[in-house]
Parts: sequence; C-alpha cells; structure tokens
Amino acid sequence: MPGPDFETVVAGFYEPLYRFAMSLTRSEADACDLAQQTFYMWATKGHQLRDASKVKSWLFTTLYRAFLESRRTLTRFPHFELTEADSDLPVVLPEAARRLDTAQAVEALGQMDAVYRAPVALFYLEDCSYQEIADILEVPIGTVKSRMARGLAQLKQIFAEIKPAPKQPRGPIE
Amino acid sequence: MNNQEAKKILILFRPGSADEKDSSFDEARQLAKTDPELARWFASHCESYLILRPKFQAIPVPPGLKEQILSERKIYRPYFLKYSRPLLALAAVLVLLLGIIFGLESFRGGAERYSAYRKRMIESALRSYSMDLTTNDPAQIRGFLNTNNAPADYRLSGGLKSAAVVGCVVSSWQGNPVSMICFKTGRPMAPGDQSDLWLFVASRKTVSNAPSSSEPVFARVNKATTASWSDDHNIYLLAAVGDQTLLAKYVSNAP
Repeated sequence: MPGPDFETVVAGFYEPLYRFAMSLTRSEADACDLAQQTFYMWATKGHQLRDASKVKSWLFTTLYRAFLESRRTLTRFPHFELTEADSDLPVVLPEAARRLDTAQAVEALGQMDAVYRAPVALFYLEDCSYQEIADILEVPIGTVKSRMARGLAQLKQIFAEIKPAPKQPRGPIE
Repeated sequence: MNNQEAKKILILFRPGSADEKDSSFDEARQLAKTDPELARWFASHCESYLILRPKFQAIPVPPGLKEQILSERKIYRPYFLKYSRPLLALAAVLVLLLGIIFGLESFRGGAERYSAYRKRMIESALRSYSMDLTTNDPAQIRGFLNTNNAPADYRLSGGLKSAAVVGCVVSSWQGNPVSMICFKTGRPMAPGDQSDLWLFVASRKTVSNAPSSSEPVFARVNKATTASWSDDHNIYLLAAVGDQTLLAKYVSNAP
C-alpha cells in the first residue's frame, strides 16, 4: 500500500522537525539544512518504511542521526540507567521558567551537554511517548529516562545563570 | 514507594500529554496526593513544564522553508514509482529515451544543464562529506587528483592561491570526475567542519551551458554564494556561505 505522499509528509512534519533541529544546533541555517536533508532522505529511502504510523519516528531518528553525523559524534554515549541517576532531583522552578523568552530557552538547551539535549528537547517539544523517544534516539527507554532526569537537573542550573529577558519597549500609542 | 522514588518518576511526567494516561505514573501521582511536600514539588514541576513547553514550541520556523524543501523534491527519486508497476514500465521507457537523447547529446559534447550541476555540488559541500585527502600542501592535492583521474590541470586565481587549502575530494557528475578542493577562509566554523570555501573543477566536456567566459558569474544557491567561470579546459565553481563580497576577493585575478 502506498505511503503518504511527499507533500503531505512535508506539510505535517517540517515545522516540528525544524524546531527539534533548532534546539539541537541553535543555528537557523544548520536547522534548515538538517530539515532539508531529512526530507531528502525520506524522498529517497522513505518507501522502505512499511509501517505508516512510524513516519514521525523515522523522520526524527533520521534528523537526529544527521545531526550526530554532522557533529562527528557518532560514538555511542554510555548508557546510564535511572537507578544510577542522582538522588537529588531538582525541579525547574516556575519563576525561573517564567522569566525566559523563547530565544533564551533555546540558548539554554544549547548549553546543555549534547547527550542530554535531544531527550530534553523532545520532552518539551513533542508529545512522543517514552518508547517513541527511545526509538528516535536509538537507546533503551531506561537510558532515555535517566538522561532526561539528569538533563532537567542541568537545565535548572543553566536557567539559574540566565539573566531575565529584557522587557520589550512599548511603541508609540497612535 | 517513598518520596524520593516518586520524584524520580514524576520528574518525567508531562502534564497535558499522553503521560496522563500512562499507568507507570499512577502510583507516584497517588502518593503526591497524600504527601504534602511531594505534592508541592509535583505542582511546581507541572507548572514549570506548562510555562516552558509553549516557549519551546514558539521557536519560529523560517518563512519559505516548506517551499524550499518541496522545490528540492524535483531532484529526488520519485517515491511513488515504487508502488506502481505500470508507472515503472513507463519510467523505464522514458529512461531509455532519455538515455538515447543524452547519449547523443554527450556525443556532441553536452551533458547536463549547468544549474543542476552547480546545485548538486553545493548541496554536497553544505551537507556532510568526508575529505579524501587532508593536507595543506597544494602540490599533494594536485598529485592526488591527477592519480585519481580527476581534473588536476586547474589554474587558481590569485585570491585562491593565497587561501589556506585543507584538502580535497574526488567527486563526480554523471560519471565524470569532479575535483573538489577545500579551503578555509579563517572565519569561525561549526565544530566538526573542516572547510568553508570550496572550489569544484570539472572538464568543460562534463557540463553544458556553463559560463564560457573567464569573467566570474555570481549566483546564490541555497545559503551559499557561488562564482562560476571557465578557461580553455575546465569549468570552475567556487562556493562559500556568505555574501558576494567574501567570494569576490578569492576570484580576483581569476584566470
């Protein structure tokens, strides 16, 4: 049975894929490249995907692999199980979250260790189940959870060091 | 389950998502209803998530990205052909006809439109590639390209002679070798990048419709600026991410 056509796939996923790429690279040009490369791969290899429900995972996995390849960090990260995670589990405070704007939130993601960045980005950006995130990142689900927990702890520290977003100046009232 | 164990589970909980129905959170959420300290912690976690999520989802997508992706579709292998035997047969006939046409065209000295060649080469530079030879020695590069039957009789402009060379790739276009010589402009590069200025050299017979003059012709391809010119034997394509001013200093004194 034919899968979804190219335009439908692009229309459905180019925005979330771009946002994921942007959260990984912090560069608009690189994020555009990654998104384009992902759809290029889809156009050439997408037909090999038999299960149409896996299109989203396939695209995110492909983009993430392309990101790793572009950064020459294909080396497998060590797996940390959740039981090994720090017992200290800080929570990002609402006050810290409230004073950030989008650019600062993305900037904070970019400052995280690369190993935590993708799971935390997916944590906030997508409604993927943990199994889907594990499939996208190609690591066991326990590792995903462990990295997220550690990543969120690191994000809290980074947020604490970020200065509040400047208030937008009001324009003249007409 | 104690307070700490519950936190380890609940820190991964995303309010308003599929996690609401995920039974693996049930026990910890139940405990949060009876443990005031855990309840405060969990409420704080959920509030932060609900504040941050829309901020991440507000990352602006560049206008025109979708159109750019769809326009590149033109060079992709038609995906739907995989599923249609009649269309496959039709495609085979078309390929055969095109093969005859292009064969005749090649015989007359032409091969393919220059714009398609330029686009493909720029894409290969902007996306991932691995260097076949990494060296700062221009003579070694020329020797390597010559050994691998890629164009090595190129003439460098004054600007390129003084640029820092870092290596080369033997690329191809329609079965013909193309020399890709990689330089560094000295600008900051992304981690993992090895070069940010690329010179493609192909034989004049390889591509039709290329600029026939030694005077560079500038064009924008994706996010790169390109300059194209020719000499008696070769077609030159120089590319970098940046504006024309950057490229102009490297094509000055172009042969």
